[in-house]
Amino acid sequence: MKRELRRVETGLAIIGAGLAGFAASIFALRRGLDTAQLGHTGAIAYTTGYFDLLGVMDGRVLDEPWAGLDALREAEPAHPFARLGNDEIREAFEIFTDAISDMGIAYSKPGDHNLSALLPSGVAKPTLSVPATMLPGVEAFRTGAKTLIVDFPGLQGFSATEFKVNFAASWPALSVCRIEFPGFEGQQLYPEVLARSLEAPHGREPLAEKIRAVLDGAEYVGLPAVLGMHAPDEVHADMERRIGARLFEIPTIPPAVPGIRLREMFERELPRRGLVLVPQLKVSRSELGADGAVHHLQGPLEDLEISARATLLATGRFLSGGLYADQAGLRETLLGLPVVQPSGRDNWYRRDYLDPRGHQLNRAGLETDAQFRPLDAAGAPVNPRLFAAGAVLAHQDWVRQRCGAGLAIAAAYGAVKAAAEMLNGSA
Amino acid sequence: MMSGQDIDQMEVMNFQKLAHELLPGGASFESCIACGLCASGCPASGFYGMDPRRFIRMAMLGLNEELSRTPWVWTCTQCKRCQYVCPMSIDVSVLVAAARSNWPKAKVPKGIMRSCDAQLRDVSTSAMGVRSEDFVEIVEETAEELRGSDRRFADIKVPVDKKGAEFIINQNSREPAAEPEELAPLWKIFDYVGADWTYASKGWAAENFCMFTGDDELWKQMVKTRVDAINELGCKTWINTECGHSFYTIWKGVERFGLKADFEAGSLVSYYAKWIREGKLPVNSDWNRDNLKFTLQDPCQLVRKSIGDPVADDLRFVARTLVGEDNFIDMQPGGNANYCCGGGGGFLQAGMSEQRRAYGRRKFDQIATTKADYVLTPCHNCHSQMEDLGEFYGGQYRVVHFWTLICLSLGILGPDERKYLGPDLAGIGLET
Repeated sequence: MKRELRRVETGLAIIGAGLAGFAASIFALRRGLDTAQLGHTGAIAYTTGYFDLLGVMDGRVLDEPWAGLDALREAEPAHPFARLGNDEIREAFEIFTDAISDMGIAYSKPGDHNLSALLPSGVAKPTLSVPATMLPGVEAFRTGAKTLIVDFPGLQGFSATEFKVNFAASWPALSVCRIEFPGFEGQQLYPEVLARSLEAPHGREPLAEKIRAVLDGAEYVGLPAVLGMHAPDEVHADMERRIGARLFEIPTIPPAVPGIRLREMFERELPRRGLVLVPQLKVSRSELGADGAVHHLQGPLEDLEISARATLLATGRFLSGGLYADQAGLRETLLGLPVVQPSGRDNWYRRDYLDPRGHQLNRAGLETDAQFRPLDAAGAPVNPRLFAAGAVLAHQDWVRQRCGAGLAIAAAYGAVKAAAEMLNGSA
Repeated sequence: MMSGQDIDQMEVMNFQKLAHELLPGGASFESCIACGLCASGCPASGFYGMDPRRFIRMAMLGLNEELSRTPWVWTCTQCKRCQYVCPMSIDVSVLVAAARSNWPKAKVPKGIMRSCDAQLRDVSTSAMGVRSEDFVEIVEETAEELRGSDRRFADIKVPVDKKGAEFIINQNSREPAAEPEELAPLWKIFDYVGADWTYASKGWAAENFCMFTGDDELWKQMVKTRVDAINELGCKTWINTECGHSFYTIWKGVERFGLKADFEAGSLVSYYAKWIREGKLPVNSDWNRDNLKFTLQDPCQLVRKSIGDPVADDLRFVARTLVGEDNFIDMQPGGNANYCCGGGGGFLQAGMSEQRRAYGRRKFDQIATTKADYVLTPCHNCHSQMEDLGEFYGGQYRVVHFWTLICLSLGILGPDERKYLGPDLAGIGLET
């Protein structure tokens, strides 16, 4: 019995299974590129489901992210956003949210202003596009509508009371109720489990009935994000009809439903659209050459060898494994690319964790040129066929700037565009 | 299960040490950030106050006594879904297997141990006690009946111990032991495609409950008996029949114990797909006049734990071709991300029905959401568990083998080979 070797040849290999990787696949398929995406699950399951473009600059919450981007390019010319114009970023965002809506999770159209979207701790955050199942919550908050927030005993990390108390000043018309989730009484609950149980039609009416009984004239009902996994819009509409009030979801802390939804949708839908997707394995080794790269993966029963004429790294940072930190410093894990980083460990962090200026370590990452090609120590592209996108890039602080999805989507757009030009030019 | 006093006398294992020894490449137990994706996605979470996240955290904290003694390890089906969803690729099932090995034989759930004991008693390796010579006799008698009852198969050959045959196949004991008439559809398919195949009289049984005891020596003994029998016959390819863990147990056993296997391993599902693509199995969905809906259960042992996407794709290709594109409703999630039915890992035999059915509720909901009339699956454990869940939770679906539908489509399904078909299909092709 010998191990099989499966060889795949592709135009563009995208390494990474997070938001940047999936966005890159969407853009590449749209450009007609022969595309393979490789990589074990990353941090995508941890998202709220909100797609931020740019929410904060210099500690200020932004209402107008596009104007914010203009200012960012001035203030931080090395920021990955500075490689693209607003028209390109807007197009990228629209293509991405349209594609996701087409694939089965409706998202709001990115507009000119940030939305104030709800977080489980009872605060609002600036973001550009939200799932349709969460959009009525933005509206309820904006208008201060009479709203009932429901939570479930046994569901950790979501408290309707905490939500109400923290919103007390800005949203007085909130009321709360705790009800046992039918069929799961007395158990520790996970949002994923509840979402899957509501996917089954027989799971919905018992919950709707309990909520109707405590509605007390509320115009809106807010629930933790549990309205289905595979068909959330259908579950949302059905539950709204059964309850008889506008219904919205509030994202929960990980492990949360919105990210699992996205991951399962991408894994299900993108192969149908022509993507060669290997989502269960990590790339163990890559060899870069003049004509492209070869990526090696090991499955339980077979080895995989993916030969690609171009490669896009969307490998993320520490959690997803794109960067690794040890005593000596930071390194890029797959190809040993140079990492822009603080001069020594003493400079990684400032003394105060919440220092508004942020920490140097968070701006470490890959240096790239205008075509999103990683650069070597001398400032030249490491390889003309190698590109990078997403959180692995240097000169950004996506957590503080509230720009995680925007960075993933915009950089993926720019990197795929450059890769396509290179591939079409060299074909 | 065992009493509290018995449990107190069990040895205590060092799980932190084990975790480091069993560390798979590319994974890191220490890098667990306790996000809980594993526990959230595991239907065994909550039984006996345990879940995969707790198991890992407790191992890292040195809570070895609790882990050495928790009966939760018998409710984990070792399906590896925890590893699939973990950003750090942490595989809790390897620790569960180690924990199982710590349980004295007398304390292992009786159903699992009894099945393993039966396997050890005869070179047949049958968990249902079908001895080697009984198997040969049952096969011969059943083949004789088939030859006599259907002229189209008057000359059908059902070889046993044919040296140098291209394919050697295994057989789940359920058919020879309890429903020999279910053997025939598979033989008819081999006959239809003109396959050169054989059974082995030794080690023909597919199931391996010894693996589920956690005792590596017993697992190895089972696999070695089977591998030796296949080597002896000099067949080129071993085809695993419609049974899930029997595939994993062989290839993984060969790799784990460094056994010499002079053959290649294949899944029957991949061959169904290949033969359909080559036109050797000209199946279609014409028989599905009422547009009955079908869904599909991915056996974890075959898909997530073994072949992955290629076989998940083959399963769907075969199912769609058989039942009609519009009549196939995929389960969500499917393929590698699908849930274990709740019957795997020996759970179906462990006598813990309350937990097993609670586990399987996730599967029942998945099936109910598809509104399918039938569930197809190439695994006897999945089959039995989903039938039981349907009965317990009031499902309206039936569970069916691929071989039944293939023969139904080809017009060669005999009247007594239809026990898994409902009244809606039982008469198809018998109307003459």
